[in-house]
Formats: sequence, structure tokens, C-alpha cells
Amino acid sequence: MATDAELRSLPQRGRVLPAWAFIGWRWVWRSPAAAVVPLLQPFFFLYFLSMITDSRLFPLQVAGAMLFSTQNIGSWCLSDSAVFRIELRLQDIFVASPHDKLRYLFGVAFSNLIAALPAILLLGVILGMVTPVPLVGWLFLTAAILTIWILYSAIGIAVSSRLRSQREVWPVGNLIFTLLGILSPLYYPISFLPPVWREFARILPATYAALLVQGALGFASASSEDLALDAALLVVSTVVGLIVAWSLYRWRES
Amino acid sequence: MGFGLRWSGTRVFLTTEIRVQLHEWLAIVTGTLTPGALLIFVAVLAPGLLPITLIGALVYSMFLIGQRVLNEAAYIRIDHKLNELYHASPLSPEGYFVGIAGGMLLAYLPPSLLIFAILEILHPLSFFAVVALAACLLAVWAISSTIGYVVSTAFKDMKAIWAYSALLTNVFGVLPPVFYPFSKVPLEWRSVVLVLPTSATAVLVDAAAGLETVTPIQGVLAAVSLAVEATALFAFGIYWARRTARER
Repeated sequence: MATDAELRSLPQRGRVLPAWAFIGWRWVWRSPAAAVVPLLQPFFFLYFLSMITDSRLFPLQVAGAMLFSTQNIGSWCLSDSAVFRIELRLQDIFVASPHDKLRYLFGVAFSNLIAALPAILLLGVILGMVTPVPLVGWLFLTAAILTIWILYSAIGIAVSSRLRSQREVWPVGNLIFTLLGILSPLYYPISFLPPVWREFARILPATYAALLVQGALGFASASSEDLALDAALLVVSTVVGLIVAWSLYRWRES
Repeated sequence: MGFGLRWSGTRVFLTTEIRVQLHEWLAIVTGTLTPGALLIFVAVLAPGLLPITLIGALVYSMFLIGQRVLNEAAYIRIDHKLNELYHASPLSPEGYFVGIAGGMLLAYLPPSLLIFAILEILHPLSFFAVVALAACLLAVWAISSTIGYVVSTAFKDMKAIWAYSALLTNVFGVLPPVFYPFSKVPLEWRSVVLVLPTSATAVLVDAAAGLETVTPIQGVLAAVSLAVEATALFAFGIYWARRTARER
């Protein structure tokens, strides 16, 4: 009882986010490759795409790379929370602390967003240089990025909470996030896909994020009704994804 | 020990590694996802390049085995602390290195055979091209396994590994003309990509399969670079395994 009273006297909110941001920053600072690689990875991919496709698709691919980089945060969240729980046994401390599971999830996602932010911002600068982007386009892009960030981070952490060994991190993360990255038309218009694949892609939230961004930036013809529908479907599929992730997410010691 | 090689325990360790890896079928399956993703992008955006990309996928898969060696060697040493046990046993350092590298090669071969079967359907290779493919892929395996093993000995933390692993696979597998034709590379960069093991392999096999045209000088440069790098690096890997064989 005395312990409960002591715990309640401690700060329960407000300090967690900067602490997690600091964790993200320290990780980048201590491991230079961890800072450089996420920054370079979308550019490696863009370079490859520029070698095999029409250069007119480049602005669309830059916007797609911003969404892809955001989606990849989920994979890092999976890896981080697995290391915290399995290797460092840090989750035991978090579970025993006043830090609840929602804040933990958000904190891990936030710390990884810090590491991905330089790449996303640089891609944004390039996007602004290669194509005129209206203010509403930036707003749609930012909203899509934030939605994808929350959803895929939640998926990463939820899946991670079910892993039993560090050895499972790489294959499971690779399976989920590479597959999701391939299936959504982030780097090309959805019309390029074969019909069956196109219908399958419509199950995935990132597809609606891509359609919304491509429509808002003028890379694909889309009426305001189309944009509203894509936005609504993005929200609905994200909510469904978050419910699934929440039910999968296991918050306990060890 | 002198300059002679000791191979005690190699066969047992190789068999153990194969069994360990085969238990992780998910890792084997997902190892094909990145080349699979690039293949899908090519199938959607430039289907005419599929045979070249399939050869690229084989080269990339072989290079990826080295990255699995990096992860496995680091995992055994850092997480399981098993290499202390191995080094205290009769298993020789050479056997440890070759066991991990060989185990990975054999365990990860089935997905590559599947890619090869698809290639044979889309673009049947001549006997000469198949021999060139097999020889060049073995050279890539020797090079990437050594890089993976040597780099793994530099880490104290598993969390730091993925960044370097991703950097190596991108620099050797995605940037140079492995998945796309050599002819797309600007003239001034062609000599550089011919000395990189992955792109040298892709260029040689593409040329042997009749998918690319290279000059005799370019062919010789790629072949000699690949042979020298494979021999020198694999020998260095064995030397490094001996040098770093200690309990820690």
C-alpha cells in the first residue's frame, strides 16, 4: 500500500515523451550507421527505380519513398521493443512502473520517428524541388505519414510482444514489412498493377495513403470525392489495424 | 599451428549449422523477400528486364548469405555466448568460420534453386552460362561470408548490426548493376562496377547468357577481380577466424 501511495506521488504523465525522444536521439548519436542508413535507404531504392522506370514517375516515387520510410518505422519498433523485452529485460521495469502500455507503445514509436525524421524531411525537400506541391498537398502528405506511422508502429510493437527469441526478429519483421511494402502501390500508380493484385492492395491502409497522396499532389487524376473516399478508407483501415494490433499486443513482465 | 590449416570439428559444426538454419524455415523464406520485391517492381515497371533481374536476384541472394553469416556469428558470440564454448572445444577456428559459411550456403540454397528454375523457364541458359553462374555465385558466397564474419567480430551489441548489414546489402546489391543492365551505368563508372564482386558476377553471367554485351577487356577485368577478391578474402577470413578465436 505504501508503495502504491509512493508511486501515485510520482509524476504520472508529461515527462515520458521527451525521455523517449532522447532514447531515439541517443541511439542515432551512438551508432552513426543507424543515423546514416535510414537516411540513405530510400535513396538507394529511388536510384534503382530511376534505372528501370520512366523519369516522369520520379516525383511520385519520392512521395512513395516518404511513405515507405514511415512504414519502415514499424520494423524498427518491432526490433527495438524485442531488444528491450528479450535482451535487456527493460519491459519488466516498464510494466512495474507507472508507465502504461499505451505510453510505452507511443514512446517506442516516437523514439523511432526521431531516427527516421531526417530521411523523411530530406525527401520532402527533394519532393518540393522536383514538383510544385500546394499547401493542401503538404497537409495530406503529413496526415498520411502520421497515420501510417501510428499504425505500422503499433503493428511492429504488437507483433514484437509475441516473439520469443531475438532470432525471430529479422525474419518476422522482414516478412511483415517487406510484404506490406511490396503490396501497396507506393512507388507507382495503382493502375500499373494487375487486376487481382490491385484488388488485394485495396485491403491495405498504405494503399489508401498512397492514393490520397498521389491524388492530392496531382500525380493521379482524383476528384475531391475520390480524395474524401480515400481519406475515409485510410482512417477506417487504420482503425481496424489498430484494433487488431491492440488485441495482439501483450503487456506483461518478461 | 603454423601456417597449416586445422579442420577438426568442421563436419560436425557444418551439420549443426545446417540443422539450426533449417529449423528457421521462416528466415529462409523471408530471405527471398527483398530480391522478390525488386523482381516484382521490375515485373510491374519494366517486364523486359526480368531475366537480368532474375540473375541479379541469384547474385543478391548469395550476397545475402554473407549477411546471415554476420547475424549468426554475432548472435552466437554476443547473445548466446556460445563461441566461448566452441573455442574451448576441439573445433578449430577455421572449422568455425567455414562451418557457419557453409551451413548458411546449404540451408539457403533452396530459394535460389527456385529462382534458377524460374530463370530457366523465362530464359534458358546454355551449359557454359550455367557453369559461369555456379562459379561466380561461389565466389560471391566466399566474399560475402568473409565480409559478414569479419564485420561480425567488430560488434558488441546486436542492436547495432542491422544498420551495417543493410548498408552492405544496399551498397553491393542495389546500387551497382545487379538487378538492372550494365549498359545503364554511365561510361565513367563502368570500370568501378566491374571490380565490385556482385556487379562483376551479374555482368559476367548476363554476358554468358547473351543478355548483355561486354568488351573482352571488361570481361577479363570482371573475371580477374572476382577471382582475386574471392581467393584473397576467403584466405583473410580464415586468418581472421584464427586471430579472433578467443573466449570473450
